[in-house]
Amino acid sequence: MAAIIEVQGLTKSYGRKRGIADVSFSVDEGEVFGFLGPNGAGKTTTIRILMALIRAGSGTARIAGLDCWHQSVEIKKLVGYVPGEPALDPNLTGGQILEFFAHLRGGVDQAYLKQLIERFDLDTSRKFRQYSTGNKRKVVLIQAFMHRPRLLILDEPTSGLDPLNQHEFDRMVKEVRDEGRTVCLSSHILSEVEKTCTRVGIIRAGSIVRIGGVAEVTAIKRYEMTITFGDAIPADAFRTLEGVIETEALDNGHTVRLAMQGPADAVIKAAARYPVVSLTSHEPSLEDIFLRYYEGDAAAKEAEHVVA
Amino acid sequence: MWWLRSVFLKTLRDYRVAILGWGIGMGLVLVATMASVATLTTTQQAREQLVSLAAQFSWNADAVAVDTVGGYATFKIGIFIFLIALWPLLAGSRMLRGEEDRGSLDVLLSVPRPRVRVALEKLAAIWTALLAMGVLIGLVAFAGGQKFGATFSLGDALLFGLNLALVCALIGGLALLISQFTQEQGPAAGWTGGLLLIFIVLDMVHRVVPNTEWISRLSPIYYYNLSKPLVPSYGVNVGAMLVLLALALILSGASVWLFARRDIGGTVPLPRWLRLPERTASQALPVGDWSLRSVYARSLGMMAVPAMWWTLLISGWAVWVVVVVQQLQAKLSALLASSPAFINVIKNIGGGDATLSTGLLSAMLFFLPLFLMAFVVTQVNGWSADEQDGRLDLVLAAPQPRLQVLLGRFGALATATIVISLITLLATAAAAAYAGLNLDLGNLAAATLGMVPLGLLVAGIGYMAAGWLRTAADTGLLSFLLAAWFFISFIGPELKLPDATLRLSAFYYYGTPLLHGLQLTSVLEVVAVAVIALGIGAARFARKDIAV
Repeated sequence: MAAIIEVQGLTKSYGRKRGIADVSFSVDEGEVFGFLGPNGAGKTTTIRILMALIRAGSGTARIAGLDCWHQSVEIKKLVGYVPGEPALDPNLTGGQILEFFAHLRGGVDQAYLKQLIERFDLDTSRKFRQYSTGNKRKVVLIQAFMHRPRLLILDEPTSGLDPLNQHEFDRMVKEVRDEGRTVCLSSHILSEVEKTCTRVGIIRAGSIVRIGGVAEVTAIKRYEMTITFGDAIPADAFRTLEGVIETEALDNGHTVRLAMQGPADAVIKAAARYPVVSLTSHEPSLEDIFLRYYEGDAAAKEAEHVVA
Repeated sequence: MWWLRSVFLKTLRDYRVAILGWGIGMGLVLVATMASVATLTTTQQAREQLVSLAAQFSWNADAVAVDTVGGYATFKIGIFIFLIALWPLLAGSRMLRGEEDRGSLDVLLSVPRPRVRVALEKLAAIWTALLAMGVLIGLVAFAGGQKFGATFSLGDALLFGLNLALVCALIGGLALLISQFTQEQGPAAGWTGGLLLIFIVLDMVHRVVPNTEWISRLSPIYYYNLSKPLVPSYGVNVGAMLVLLALALILSGASVWLFARRDIGGTVPLPRWLRLPERTASQALPVGDWSLRSVYARSLGMMAVPAMWWTLLISGWAVWVVVVVQQLQAKLSALLASSPAFINVIKNIGGGDATLSTGLLSAMLFFLPLFLMAFVVTQVNGWSADEQDGRLDLVLAAPQPRLQVLLGRFGALATATIVISLITLLATAAAAAYAGLNLDLGNLAAATLGMVPLGLLVAGIGYMAAGWLRTAADTGLLSFLLAAWFFISFIGPELKLPDATLRLSAFYYYGTPLLHGLQLTSVLEVVAVAVIALGIGAARFARKDIAV
């Protein structure tokens, strides 16, 4: 497949504030590409350069072979865009907003537009200012999909959506992919990207630190498990078990906190030998993963393993 | 950071600019009226004429001791109560409802502090701000009074400020109460503004129609006007001030009581017969809405309502001036005869070689382009705010050049200024025919349509500045320009400013079209500067980072 997005050595700085530095990646036509990174990593800056809302200090960004800055009008005919923080005329209703953007795009298939409204169950008669965060997100999602663009660029598209609508969004992304169209979406939620995307690029502190298939990135996924026991137990009993990376004894040995990667079967079986009061497991934030996984020079080492 | 220690201090800190700006600004407005007393009372005859003239305008305010500095200032400030009450009106409607609109009240109420206390702390901050403004107004008024030979004391001036603060607290309380029943802040401010106008008219009734004082007693403004601390012989009416205080407390207390019992983000339920028909959810799309067809049409749609109000203001002013000018000239004749300084001002603005009637008319119509330019400033502010707040992002993500977006908005603004000018022309021509005033229609057209290039000039400069400045700075710059231009053209000739300085003002190029028509070269110069400014603004907008 030919690349529809080609980014090479992209750099943007905001004075003293961090921007992005030497960002390079490409997205093939027909794939769903996840752009993953913690808040403030540079995802939105990169996307806004692709949308010609800001201009890169150096480097090149091309979409469908066209320069993102100089040929932006041609590019925007191909692209549907969802900004990270949707801001629209607060006095227009959802329906008026969709109609306005349909006109700006020279008209859209009204039947498809109505279908999208029904799928997201959007009340189009309310003013944008009266919408909840989730409903605002629905409006911008519909305007991005309504002209059946060849490429969708979505900046944290599911932020604020309830699980039902997130599910609907996932279905729509799959349909787009099945039709051979391309999606580039950003997120700071690892599991979301894992669920939707075929390939992932990870950005941290303005630089790309890893690009690869979803499975590859999943390998860095760690989670924490906290087990509280009725009696004090030896934390060392868990240290060498499969999947355990770190152990920490708390509360005079009554609680053990484990950093995990991979299956938890061995830990569960080991814990079952003691009186368990509670067991909680949670996925650490991406920031936590980065702090642990890429601390020190690890980022530089990982960058060497980038899969193109 | 001591000001973040409580809701009260934080809110008061938010008001710090308003306290200084509104307090000193309103004080200076008062002093400006004091400054003209000396020129109006140079002879006994002029003094008597002033008293007589004021009596004829008593619908505006009680004409008490208008030949004194304090009395004249009190009389003149009468109608400006609407302006003075603007801040508490906005602050009251915004205090809770504005925060609910933004969602920040949810966070504030999540801290372990009773809801009533949060509301009371915010209310206390508004009242403290109003008191501080009252003190500032009193201090500035006292200083002005000392300069212009007033007889009122510092205590009198502070009582004047207190009386103002009390009526403002009442208006703020009313806005706060109404905002408990509205879903958004804007309608609360609008309803309060409407009621304020009704109050002002009700207060006027007893001064125009005999034996109708009972009607005026229904208006809080009546109780405000019962005290005239700047007229020492009249003094204050403690009872009336207590009535204002009691009403302010009742309105504010009721607001807090209702706030404590309603849903955040919701409203106090109205009786069924007062409720609007319930909106039913719909998934329909608008059909045939002309304002959604392009950026130009959408911009025009956005401007329609404010443009309508500004048209009413501008054409209303022009019509009023045309209708009353002959009457005004007759009443002012003796006064003007004894006040060369006043005549000079009229001649400088209205045109030096005209008859007094036409010169007076020309001078009063001088305010038309100022109003139009003020309208343009508000619209440029909207453009800049849209960009800064990210509302242009999705528009610019649609397949159209940036230049087209900017020119669409500018084109809509140009259309609005032309429509306002045309309506003003038609209304003024009709008013002149009604009043039997013989006006040169060509010159009248020049006076009204001649505003358009000035509006475009402000727009061009504003769009250019928006390329570099943030919204507040852009609006501040344009407001400063307007004030400076007005000062140069209004006072400049009297101060014998050099011609090169006078040429810096846009009003210089407007000239006196009612008397002399428009000078083509002047119009072209203004249009050329506007085009250059817009060109620079467009070039900048085409290259700049959006919303950074």
